[in-house]
Parts: sequence; structure tokens; C-alpha cells
Amino acid sequence: MQTDAAVHTGDIPAGLAEPSLYVGKVTPGSLDDQVLAFPETKPPRQWYFALAITLTAALIGVGCIGYTFFIGIGAWGNSSPVFWAFDIINFVFWVGIGHAGTLISAILFLFRKRWRNAIARFAEAMTIFAVICAVIFPLIHVGRPWLAYWLFPYPNERALWTNFRSPLLWDVFAVNTYFSVSLMFWYLGLIPDIASMRDRTTSKLRKLIYTALALGWRGAATHWQHYEKAYLLLAGLATGLVLSVHSVVSFDFATSVVPGWHMTIFPPYFVAGAIFAGFAMVVMVLVVVRETMQLKNLITMRHLDVMNKVILAMSCIMGYSYMMEGFTAWYSMNEYLHHGFMNIITGTYGWAGWVTISCNIFIPQILWFKKARASYFWMILVAIGVTIGMWFERFVIIVISLHQDYLPSAWRIYKPTMIDFGILLGTFGIFFTLVLLFARVLPVIATTEVKAILPDAQPGAGAEGHFAAGETGTAQPTDGLRAPSHHGDDHHV
Amino acid sequence: MKTRLPDHGPLETPQFWRTLDERLETPEAQQAAHDEFLPGAVPISYDDVHGLPVQAQSGFSRRDFLGLVTASAALAATVACDRKGQGTVVPYTKRPVEVVPGVANYYASAHQEGRRVYPVLVKTREGRPIHLTGNDEHPGVKGKTSPRTMADVLRLYDPDRLRSPKSEGRIVGWSEAESRLYAALKGTKTDGRPVLLISGAVVSPSRKALLADLKAALPTLDHLAYEPAAGDAAEEAAKASFGQAMDLQPRLAKAKVILSLGADFLNGDDPEAQAAWGAQRRLKSAHDPINRLWVLEGPLTLTGTNADQRVPVAPSRLGAVAFALAKELTAKGVALPAGSDLSGISAGAPAEIPSATWTSLVKDLKAAGRQAVVLCGAQMPAEAHQAAHLLNAMLNSEALVATPAEPLATVKDLDTAVQGMAAGRYAAAIFWDVNPAYTFPKAAAWKDAVAKVPVRVWIGQVEDETAAQCQVLLPENHWLESWGDFSTPSAAVLQQPTVGTLYDTRQGEDILLGSLKALGATVPDGYHAYLQARWKKELPPGTTFEQALHDGLVKVEAKAAVPPFKGASVAPAAKRAVESKTEGLELVLFPGFATHDGRHANNSWLQETPDPISKMTWDNPVAVSVQDAKALGIQEGDLVSLSLNGTTLKLPAVIQPGQARGVLALALGYGRTTGGVAKGVGIDAFPFLGLEPGSANVRQGVRLAKAGGRKELSRTQSHHRMEGRDIVRSLTMDEFEHHPQGHHHMPELVSLYEDQKFPDHKWGMVIDLAACTGCSACVVACQSENNVPVVGPEQVARGREMHWIRIDRYYEGELENPKVVHQPMLCQHCDNAPCENVCPVNATNHSPDGLNQMAYNRCVGTRYCANNCPYKVRRFNFLEYTAYKTEPETLVNNPEVTVRPRGVMEKCSFCVQRINDVKIRAKGDGRAILDGEVTTACMAGCPSDAIVFGDLKDPKSKVAQLVAASRAYRVLEEVGAKPAITYLADLKNPVIEGGHHAN
Repeated sequence: MQTDAAVHTGDIPAGLAEPSLYVGKVTPGSLDDQVLAFPETKPPRQWYFALAITLTAALIGVGCIGYTFFIGIGAWGNSSPVFWAFDIINFVFWVGIGHAGTLISAILFLFRKRWRNAIARFAEAMTIFAVICAVIFPLIHVGRPWLAYWLFPYPNERALWTNFRSPLLWDVFAVNTYFSVSLMFWYLGLIPDIASMRDRTTSKLRKLIYTALALGWRGAATHWQHYEKAYLLLAGLATGLVLSVHSVVSFDFATSVVPGWHMTIFPPYFVAGAIFAGFAMVVMVLVVVRETMQLKNLITMRHLDVMNKVILAMSCIMGYSYMMEGFTAWYSMNEYLHHGFMNIITGTYGWAGWVTISCNIFIPQILWFKKARASYFWMILVAIGVTIGMWFERFVIIVISLHQDYLPSAWRIYKPTMIDFGILLGTFGIFFTLVLLFARVLPVIATTEVKAILPDAQPGAGAEGHFAAGETGTAQPTDGLRAPSHHGDDHHV
Repeated sequence: MKTRLPDHGPLETPQFWRTLDERLETPEAQQAAHDEFLPGAVPISYDDVHGLPVQAQSGFSRRDFLGLVTASAALAATVACDRKGQGTVVPYTKRPVEVVPGVANYYASAHQEGRRVYPVLVKTREGRPIHLTGNDEHPGVKGKTSPRTMADVLRLYDPDRLRSPKSEGRIVGWSEAESRLYAALKGTKTDGRPVLLISGAVVSPSRKALLADLKAALPTLDHLAYEPAAGDAAEEAAKASFGQAMDLQPRLAKAKVILSLGADFLNGDDPEAQAAWGAQRRLKSAHDPINRLWVLEGPLTLTGTNADQRVPVAPSRLGAVAFALAKELTAKGVALPAGSDLSGISAGAPAEIPSATWTSLVKDLKAAGRQAVVLCGAQMPAEAHQAAHLLNAMLNSEALVATPAEPLATVKDLDTAVQGMAAGRYAAAIFWDVNPAYTFPKAAAWKDAVAKVPVRVWIGQVEDETAAQCQVLLPENHWLESWGDFSTPSAAVLQQPTVGTLYDTRQGEDILLGSLKALGATVPDGYHAYLQARWKKELPPGTTFEQALHDGLVKVEAKAAVPPFKGASVAPAAKRAVESKTEGLELVLFPGFATHDGRHANNSWLQETPDPISKMTWDNPVAVSVQDAKALGIQEGDLVSLSLNGTTLKLPAVIQPGQARGVLALALGYGRTTGGVAKGVGIDAFPFLGLEPGSANVRQGVRLAKAGGRKELSRTQSHHRMEGRDIVRSLTMDEFEHHPQGHHHMPELVSLYEDQKFPDHKWGMVIDLAACTGCSACVVACQSENNVPVVGPEQVARGREMHWIRIDRYYEGELENPKVVHQPMLCQHCDNAPCENVCPVNATNHSPDGLNQMAYNRCVGTRYCANNCPYKVRRFNFLEYTAYKTEPETLVNNPEVTVRPRGVMEKCSFCVQRINDVKIRAKGDGRAILDGEVTTACMAGCPSDAIVFGDLKDPKSKVAQLVAASRAYRVLEEVGAKPAITYLADLKNPVIEGGHHAN
């Protein structure tokens, strides 16, 4: 992968020039007109149609959750010994989906990967929505959801305290921290754009809302100074969280005694899997967004190409992890672990094991080919495959491990109910409803960040439409007004 | 209140007046006196302290004001509380004698099931029976009882019970209902038409006397004592061998070698046999004496799973095999009883039995001599019984108690009665605690016949199939509301009511006494008086009736002489046995483990107790042998059609390892059409019952075919192999002697957490797998003690049964005749419990005396603990299983154990309420807790004493000593949970190749 360090000042040999991060002529003004105009225009018919579908799905989910509240967890297929099933599968799945956003917005920001600028906003929004879908599950999966607040260590007159040895409690903190930091990070990044929208809109109501949301942003130099510090700090915080939250989620399994859960490989394996699933979801959504919202000039094939490369890399890490699981089962000489691993490939749910392996390991290998990375068909196929595969990976980990653990007398086959499927459908409905609403009311691309990679932001820049070659090595004062990029003034690559 | 003064004249009694107005009888005063308190003023218009009048400040009286304040406060308090369903709590104004709230009382009583009598101790709380155990004063049962007896307390509170008499479907009073019965009986006296009375077995001397009195007053009475589950063949065979009905009970304590011909004496029905079995199996060393159990049987029974040597033999062949055995023994020099002739029998191993096994068996029986006993299953053909009688007579077995018994009617007698009814012979019929409309094989013929009886009276508890055909329904007491007495071989047992009748019911004997009175006889007033009067004469000197009631028994000397074995009966039986032919498949009909003959079918505890072999609940699938299932392509859960003589039933099949080829097994007592619980559960197999008593329960020529479709089986265990894991250790006597621990070595495990500290006690348990027969009495005992909810077949099929203790049953080896082991599995109360550190809210944690405890109130239901439990003994309330229950169902709950709501995890508590009860009492007495003083319900319920509970910190305690035994091991020790339950390896005493293990 090319890095900024590869970009040189002065003449760049044609073959070495970094491909453009946008297509055609983009100026700060045209960018604002293109991106900030969406909330001002009436959505097309297709948008309403899509919203109707996702809302229906969401309502089915809400109905199923209501039914569960009414009669109890018995509405689901969970039983002994599979006490966790779709509930925790979906939780881990959605937390995983949420990982791409933070990775793109925080880690890639710290690594100065500027291809992130155009897609960070959308990916971050997806993080927020995915985590919203995820946190539904810990709340609804407990037997007495009305007492779920007992998981928080709040002072109370009965002097009851939580058990800090429990990984579930670590989860509560990890997911809450992750959600709040992601939300703050996302909102902070939105403020300058919301201010722009406030200034553009003619509708009184919108003006009122955007004014409130913009928090008095005027684009002053002090604003930018504070903003950039805050952004950098939050990026630093979020970076740690990207690694920690899914590691903690994996502790739910890794610290238990269940064969197939009790493995030291779980934290890195879960983080890689989460990034994998998250990127697949981002690719899927971005393809739709760039086509339907005419953003091809800003979300380019190059973005998709880079994303696909990340997916391929993660797929290889997953393949390694799966092999290590098998190796551990064999090398440990632990009969329970061995039985558990054989279950994944030959047991009653062996098909689920093979769906996981095929979707996560075999299918993504097509992305070694540049043509596949540039083909909608292949990238969508891979992305859908990975989404299915990663859901089934959690099914494999949770259901297969639980359904046959230590005492064969307790073994039992698990069967989900329609309510389980309804709730799964419902979270997809909620997720895509939020995505659709987001696409219409907030700027889907961080204009301020994209402006940073426009030539205008780079005095002495090279040819338009290419990387601003002059940025490196030369200190450039930020003008603080039109294109005040916290990325453009990057002096220390 | 009388306040009016007489107008004039001197006062005869002092009359007081409160006000002058009252004295002067003004209208206001009269009104005031009438109202007692005038609104607003009168009662409080005087200062309480000084007696001075108080001027009302407003329209409010103080009383109203206080009332409103109280009401507001109460309302506020009520609104502030979110407790639901609070009932009215009213303290006793007059406390009944003996009843102290919060303190349990125990009463001795007895339960009868067929010919068997279970002396019990009834635990009552605030006057209601809640838990049953065996009567520990009874020399036979010694504090043990059967699972069905323990569960029968639930039947007392069955909401389906008939609560008042009915006549023609109308609820009527007793006098009206009984008058119809009396009229019919009086009518028969004049016209001489007989009256038919069908009842259960008569084992009660007083009931027998009463029936004799009735017969004297009504000579036309035809009485049949019918027990559909007792086994007609056994009755027939006893009549042939001894000339009369006999009750044959094993005394296993005296047996070194036991040969079972399909006899299932370890299935929980016979606590006495099981106790003796357990005593011979709880070995400390390999040199302790141990018995050997040989089992020849068709279906796999619990006894078969406990066998040291088992050979599958079709029931129809058992007679021939057993006679061949007798012949072999004669060849070995054992004399035949006088008059016996075995000339038709050829010696040598029968086809089913390998010759080496056969030789060992013959040798074993011969060597044991008087210490050998042959037992035959009640449902086996008459020839097998007769062969067993012969063998016991030849061996002169001292391990068998034979007592003459009241004869039972067989299905053939019943058929005769049905023909009589159809012919219009009877003027009236009384069905007392029997359900022949359901149990008689030809239900349609029964229905037509019974309709021809002019007056049909039903006496029973829950309206059943027979009740539906009767005009007069008389509700009967539950036995816990009744008086009675029974004779058992070791003592006479008394039954006393432990609760007043819950409804407008009477006991059957009282109804018969009423009839006697109506017929003009002079009888005592009520059965209680009848019983007492009879016992006053019978009691040994120095014993009072009250003392006998308190003890629940009277020790009496065994009386009636045992008739000699009739040698002449042998030849015809042997001839029949040899000639008996099997054609097609052979169907064995046996009483259901849960339902017996159907009488317990409305008991949800029993319906949900897994069958000890198949682990089925709520159903009676037909068990097919492995070989037949393979030949017919039958999978477990497949619906099959079973047909015999034009009757076809469609039901699910299970494949039963160890079942003899060509044999099908099906439980009776299911497929009831009445009863809220019983209705529609399983298939009624009674239509298959034969009318020939000698082979009523073993039918030939049954056709089995796949019927298409499947049924989800409500089974509590779906995986039956141990997968080579070290879970149940089973040793032969040889292994026990040389390698009691096999090759299991456990490295020292380390924990990151500090070890638990146990300052005073550390409760622990030892379960001896050699003594455990798998009878599941512990499961029922626990259910009753700990308010374990019933979830129903659909939930069981999804793995949501709630039992705190389960019996894991594993098959090992060849499917055709596997080795079977049982393992009670309950919360292991691990010191290093995996469940405890994963609970985010600390709802499950460790007590300082070693209990892994659950705070139900704190549990939010994440279910993580259950996932992390290696033993999978935690139970989650997936749905609301209890809150919808109302009286009378809730009355059976143990008030010392919380009823758990939905969304909460629960599990075995080591009966913490019993531990604390003992702790409190010991503290009150200022002493230490004695070893054996704390008993868990499972331990108290275990008939073979396989479970021992106690304090591991007390080195002298029985449990601490057993933990150090050579057979001791812990399940899944390698997980490092440090369980508080130690298992003692199972023992089998098979014949050793090339010789015998010393007995």
C-alpha cells in the first residue's frame, strides 16, 4: 500500500504518482454544493421506498422484542445448554460491524491515511448505528430486563456492588466507553459541517436545528485550534478503544471454562474479525451511496480498492486464526477442545463451520486480483459473504461450543425460533433506517476534511486532481477560514 | 348490644347506661345505641385521657380523620410497593393445638398402591401436608419410600378433584347423592339382583372386615378387587403353584445371588429391596461381601441396568429358560420338590444364552443355595412365574418372604363381570377408586355393558373415564385426608388424616358404612370409629391406639402359614413354556414409571420425572430393539403404527439399546381422556392388553410399521454415550481390588484467586454410584422439597426442564446389550466455582460453609453462570412457570423455599433451608451439629442410601471418611472447579472368565 512517505516534492515520475482521491474538478465551493445540498433537497422516491422496507423490518424487530419482554427469554430458542444464542451472536456481530468506523476515523487518522477523509464520516456514522444495534442485545437478553441497570456499579442503600471479576461487567464499561467516545468523535467532526449547513439553509426550522447543533461554530482560528486538539485527543482515545472493546468482548468467552471459548488467541482474533466485518459493511454501503448520491467523484474506485485490500488482509488473519484454533485443539491434547473443534468441521452444525470458513477465508481471496477489487460484482459478493460469514463465525463460537461441552448427558441441539430471526431482521432494519436517515439530514462526507486534500488547501500544490505534492516538508500556515484542514498542515509524516 | 331498659320493675341483671339521653330513651339515643357509633361524634367526643368532652373542630371526626390518614398512608405504602399478588395475612386468633407457625409437624401415615403399602412420614406446615418421606420407624422401609408415593402429595392439591357429589351431572348434596345409592342397594335386597363392586386391592384388614360386613348385609354383592398393573400372570401363577394368591417379597439382605426373570425390583417401587441392595453395594474394600445380580429380560429395566450379568431374553422365552435352569440344577444334584416333573424339558444352554454364561449361572445358583433367589417380573408370562416358584422351592431360598394375600381379580374376571353387566345381571354397580372404563382392554364393550346397569355409582377423586359413565359421583378423600390400616409382612401400618378434608368429600369406607347403615346394619359412626373399635381388640397389650397412630404402625407377629409348593403344577407349566411360540414381534405392556396404571397420570411432577431408562417425559413411545429398528428403518422419534388383532395405534418410537430382538415395550397408563394434566399425554396401550391372565401383558404377533411423520421427543437426555470421557467410573470387583483409581492422575491445579475459607463448616456430599440404581426417587424428593416447577412437554423438548437433580444415564459397549451406568448430577458446590466469578451482579456466590448460593432477588438473568457451569446443572426460568398458579396448587409449596419468577437462574442449594433449620436448633440447644443431622431431600429420599451429606470439616463425619475412600473421585476434576461432591466409582460383580469371583 502506498504511503504518504512515498510522495515526493517536485517532479513525480508518472508511474509513482499517487492516484487521485477525487475525480474531476472539485473546489471547496463545488464540494459544499455537492455534499451539503442533500439535506436541502427532497429525497427521491427510491429513498422513501427503501425507508419503508427498513422501517418495516425495524418494526418487526421491535414487535419481537416486545413479545420477548412480555413472555420471557423462552420466546427464543435458547435453552440448556445453549443459554446464549442469537442474542449474543447478534451483539458480537454488531459490535464488530462498528469497528470499521473507528478504525477509519481514528487509527487511519493518526497514521495520516488521507484516503480516509472522504469515507470517515459515513463509516463513523455506521459505527454509531451498529453499536446502537449491539447494545440492544445486552439489555434485552437478560432474564429480567427491567433490572438490567443493576449491571452498573451505582451506590445504593442496600450496599450491593457489582462483581468486577465478571467479564460481562467489563463489557458494560467497554461498550459504553466505546459508544460514548465514538459518538463524541463523530459529533465533533460534524460541527464545522453543521455550521456550514446552518449558513446555507433557507428553512427556518433547519436553521434553528443546525444552529443549536453547531454549538456556535464560526470558523474562528481559536475554534479551529480547539477543534483540532480535541479531535486529535479523541482519535487517540478511540484508537485504544478499537483494540480494547472487542478484546473485552472476547474475554466473555476467553475467560470462561467452556471448551472452544477458553483460548488466548481470542482478543486479537476478535479485533481482526471485527475490522473485517466492519470494512465489508462499509464497502457494501459505500457502493450504494456513491451510486445513488452521485458521489463518484469523491468516493472513488481507489477508496474501494484500498478498502478491499484491508478486507483481504483481515481475511488472511482470520484464516491464520482458524488454523491456530485447530492447532491448539490438536496440540493441547485436550479431549474437550478437540471434540469442540471437530464439531465445527464435522458436527451437527458442521455446515455452519464451513459457511464461516468459506465466506471468511475462501471467497475473499478473489480480492488478490486487481480486477476483482475494481468490480462491483466481486466486491459486493465478498462483502455480503463476509457479513454472513462473520455472523456465522459467532454462531460457531457460541452455539457449537455450548451445545456440546463437558458432560454428554447435557448435550442438546439448538433451534432458533421465528422471534430470534425477527429480532435479527429488526436490527438490520434499525441499522439501515438510521443509515438512510443519516444520509438525508447530515453531510455524508466530511467536507472540511475533503477540503484538506483539495489543491486549494495546499498552497504551491501540484496538478489539480492529484495529491498536493507540495504539502510535505514545507510548513504551511492554516488560513483558518476557508479550508482549514487539520490534515493539510501535517508536517511530520 | 342490648341497651334498652325495662320500663319498670327492679332490674334483674345490672344494666348500664352511657348517657342520660340513653337512660331517658330519647329517639336520638335509641338511634345512637342502634348505630353503636354516630357518624362523626359519639364514640370519640370525649377526651380519652380526661374524659372531658371534646368539641369537634370541623365536619371531620377524629375517627374519620385518622381513618383517612391511615388509608392514605396505606395507599401510599401500597403504591410504593411493587409486590404483586399479596394475599391476606391473618394471624390465628385461636391457635390450633400443635400448630406453631413456621414449625413443621410430622405425622405417620401410609399410602397404598396396588398390593404395595408405603408407610410414610408426612411433613405438614401450618396444617397442610407438603412433603412425604418413608416412615423411619417401620422395620422394612426404614424411612424410605417410592417416587410415586412422594409425588402423591401433589394429588391432594389437584385442582381437578371433584369437590362435591354429583348426580346426573348436577352438583348435589351428599344426602341426595347417597339416597340414590341406598335406594338401589335396598332394591336389590328385595328383588335379589346382584350389586357389582369393583375396587382396588384390599390390603387393609379393616377394609376387608368392612367388605365382609357389607357382604353379610347384602349377600348379592359381587366384589372384584382389580389392579390392572399388578400383573395377572403373577396372580394366576401363584394360584397354580400355591393354590392361592400370594404376595412374594424378596429379602435381598439374605441373597448372595439374585436371578431376575424380568423382575424390576430396583425401579423405586420397592424401597425395602433397594435398601438391601444398596447395603450390599456400598463396599469399603474389595473384600467386603457383595451379591451378584443376574438378569434375563426382554426390555431393558432399571434392574437390568444394575445387573452384573445380563442377557436379553424375550419374555415369552423366560419360562422355558427358567425350567431349563431347573433341569440343569437337578443334574447338579438339587432335588425337585415332591410331585414335580421336568421330563419334558431338555437341559443345556438355551439359544439366547452363551454356554459359558449358562454354566456360570447354574454354578452360581447352586453354590449360593439358600442364599439364591429367583424373582420374576409381575408382567412376565405365568410359566416364567411358575418356573421361578419352582427354582425358589428347589433352592429353598431364604431370601423370599411369601405371604398369603387377598386374591385380585384378573382381566378375565373383569371380562366375566362385563358380560354379566351386558346381560343385565346387575342392579347396580359401584366403582371405587378404579377406572375400568379406561383400563379394561375392550373399552367399547365395557361402555355398552355398563350402560345396561340401572344405577352406576363412582367413588373417586378426579372425574375419570369411568365417572363419565356413571350417574352418581361421590367425591372421595385423598389418602392424606383419610383413615386406614394396612398389613405389611413386618408390621401393620396405620393411616391417619394429616389435614381436614379440603372439599366436601368423604372417604370410600364411610360411604360403604353409610350403605351398611341404610341396609339396616348396626355400625359405628364413621370409619374412624370402626377402625378404632377393631384395633382396640387387635392391639397387643400395653399399646394404645394413639401410640400406634403416632408411630404409624403396630408390630405384629407374622401369622398365616405359607402353603407348600404344589409339585404337580410344574409339568403342565413346563409343557406350556416349551410349547409357547413367538410369532412376529412380541409386545410387553408394563406399568408406566410415572403413571403406573394411569392413576398418577394427572400428576405433573411424575409426568415430568424422566423415565429412568429412556429419559422420556410426558409420553410413552414404543421401545424398539436396536436390531428391529435397523431392520425396519426406524429412527428415534419416527411415528410408527403398532397393530394387533385389528387394533392399531400410531405413536412415536424410541430405539432401546439392550432390548431383546423381536421385543417391543410399551408403558401403560397414558393416553387418558380426562384430567387437566393427563388428557392427551401419550397413547392408551390398554387396548393391547390380553384377556388371558397368564399372558395378558406379553402379546404375540404384533405388527410394527413406519407410519410416516415424526414427533419431537420430550427427552431430558439426548446424548447417551460418554465419548470416552472420565465421567462415570465403573469398576469390576477385580479392578476395585487392584486399581481402584484406574490410570487417572490429576496434576496439581493452580488458581489465580485466593482459596475459599471455611471457618466452621464445609458441607459436602458423597454419592456412591455402586448403590445408586437410577430410580429417580431423589428427583421427586427434590421437586417436592424445593418447589421445583413443572414446565410441560414442549419445554422439556427444548431442554428447559427445571429439575435441580438429574440422573445421567450412559450406555457403553455394544448397543445390543450395553453396559449402563447412572450418575445423579446436581450442583457440585465447587470451591472454585466457574459460575461465581462470571456473574456480573454477584447473584451467585460462596457461603462461608461451602455452599454455592443463589440470591434469586439479585439475579438479572444473564445466564452466563449456566454457560460456564461444566456440569450444566443450573436451571433458568425461561418463562413464567409458577406465578400463574393459584390455590389449591400453591398449597403444596414448601414455605421455606422461595418460588422463583421468570428470568431467574436457580439450582440445587444443598437444601440450605434444612441446614439452617438444624443450625438454628443446634444453636438453641447450645450444641454442635451432629453428623447425619442435616439431610438433604435427595439423601432422605434415596432408597439405597447412595447419597451421604455432611460436614467435610469434621474428620469423623461419615462424608469426610467416604471422601477418602479408595473408590472416591470427582467429576471433571481437570477443570479445576474443586467440586464439593465426591463420587464413589460404580461396582460391577461379573463372573470372571475361567472362575468365579468370591462372593
